[in-house]
Amino acid sequence: MNILKINNLHKSYGLEEVLKGINLEVSKGEIISIIGSSGSGKSTLLRCINYLEIPTSGEILFHDENFHQTNKLIQSLRTKVTMVFQSFNLFDNLNVLENLILAPQRVLKINKKDLIQKAYEILDSVGMKDFANKLPKHLSGGQKQRVAIARALMMNPEIILFDEPTSALDPEMVGEVLDVMKSLAKTGITMLIVTHEMSFAKELSDRVIFMNEGVVYEENTPDIIFNNPQLPRTKEFLKRFNRNY
Amino acid sequence: MRKVLNKVILFALVFGIIITIFPKANAEELNNDSTENEVLNDAIQNLKFYSSFNYQTLTQDKLNKLTSDFYLPVEYFGVTISYIVDSEYLSVSEETEIILLRQGTSTIEKEVLKVTVTNLPNIIKGEQEFLIQATLTYLDDSITYNYQGFITPVIPDDFFGGAIYTLVRYAKMFLEGAGLTLLISLVGTVLGFILALFLATAKIIAPTPQDKILSKSLKIFFNKLSSIYITVFRGTPMIVQASFFWYGFGLFGNALLCGLFVVSLNTAAYIAEIIRGSVNAIDKGQTEGSLALGLSYSQTFIFVIFPQAIKNSMPAIGNEFVINIKDTAVLSVIGIFELFNQTKKITSLHYRQLEAYAIVALIYLILTYSITSILKVIEKRMGMKPLELTSSN
Repeated sequence: MNILKINNLHKSYGLEEVLKGINLEVSKGEIISIIGSSGSGKSTLLRCINYLEIPTSGEILFHDENFHQTNKLIQSLRTKVTMVFQSFNLFDNLNVLENLILAPQRVLKINKKDLIQKAYEILDSVGMKDFANKLPKHLSGGQKQRVAIARALMMNPEIILFDEPTSALDPEMVGEVLDVMKSLAKTGITMLIVTHEMSFAKELSDRVIFMNEGVVYEENTPDIIFNNPQLPRTKEFLKRFNRNY
Repeated sequence: MRKVLNKVILFALVFGIIITIFPKANAEELNNDSTENEVLNDAIQNLKFYSSFNYQTLTQDKLNKLTSDFYLPVEYFGVTISYIVDSEYLSVSEETEIILLRQGTSTIEKEVLKVTVTNLPNIIKGEQEFLIQATLTYLDDSITYNYQGFITPVIPDDFFGGAIYTLVRYAKMFLEGAGLTLLISLVGTVLGFILALFLATAKIIAPTPQDKILSKSLKIFFNKLSSIYITVFRGTPMIVQASFFWYGFGLFGNALLCGLFVVSLNTAAYIAEIIRGSVNAIDKGQTEGSLALGLSYSQTFIFVIFPQAIKNSMPAIGNEFVINIKDTAVLSVIGIFELFNQTKKITSLHYRQLEAYAIVALIYLILTYSITSILKVIEKRMGMKPLELTSSN
């Protein structure tokens, strides 16, 4: 059964069309990596799914329902489809624990005591339990991103969108974040990951989407995309990518 | 028995009335030297000292602010008077001299002793009390009476002397003025800050495409209102605003309240722009991070953006307080006796503008510098980026 269905999604900024008719179906528990060169619309696609960008046309169905009509609906969608950002976006004015608790307390109206207990459990699972009372500015990039993932998990989401989660990290910190994501993948949660970590995408994904110039250019299993891409642009991209890295 | 009692009461009543009506006659009878006493008392009552300036009569009022020489008469209608002057600042001449008093068109001669002011107390010592013990003799009867006065320091001619004199003599007025200036600035900044929160919020909140028509138009209305307010109050001088509300409307019927009102309104416009700038400077990621978790725009604003923006704008708001200390001087125009207006009042009392304004400049400088330093320490403690003092509006 499809948890998410995207039909003919278009997004333009003025005259510039970034997404030119995206069609995508995501099943429950699926892990999808989205790759492609800069400007191909990967991030925009992800940001359209939780309406951080309002699509110009097309529809996004979550459990076969459309959520774009009102702010309230969009908010309720966002509690089910959370996002992890490239630049972490932890709340600078709140400590780690408060970062985790704010949204479930204010949006889901869960009482604080239960949330604190849950927050410690989740922090423990990402190896950040000892940092609960630290402010974000006292954390390293990798630690911040692990907290951001914990924060997204606090909402009990059905889908987590990862927007280049390791791109802003020093190379030695990439591993710790990817490890968290790998263990997360085993829990059966649906993940959409925009990434440049090809080996990670290859290892973890159920499906890889290659985007080029605002369309889904090629999608297939990681084995076929990385070892035997069918289309010329995909081949070219991967060749260039392998040379560079 | 009853008759006797009635008679007693009647007698007591009549006697009481007599005593009440003729008390003096009663007292006079008891005194044997009545005429001599009367003469001496009259002399005490009417004895006049003369100032060295045109031999004008020295009233008690002038005696209390004595700064120059004066004369003591040695004779008053047959009463001879001798004096003992007890003061380290005064000395009495040994010999008498004659002065000519003008009385109407004629002049009369008067035999007097001259009292010289040997030195004046300085302003630090302040006013010094002196006593003149006068012994009045009439025939073989005499009486002693003490005249009291104060020698007052005079303002030195040189700048530093004048400045010290001004500072000490009018310290209370300067302090009152400085206190009022601080009060108006502080209250004005605090009230202005509270009002600015609303103004900034109104200006920041933008309608979203999902808004319904009512909330969309309300947002636009308050946005425009806030913009107009900020433009008007930043675009007109505070001296005009103060005059407008006070002379135009007599707002609150109290100049001080009106002044506080104007300072608050004016400051609010500036702080609103500071807050708006701080909100705009917050990384967009903070908003996105919050929205992506399902928080509403207002929740995002209240729990994430605003606390950061307020913290970041604290140095600039503190700076606004310092600017207010200087700018409240314009409230003198509506008759509030803050520091500047007190100084104006002082100059009208002693005509030493240079000294008075030099002192008030120094007081303003001390106030702004010390408060800026205190704010810097607080900002450092709270881990905020200190802000340099900028020029005022």
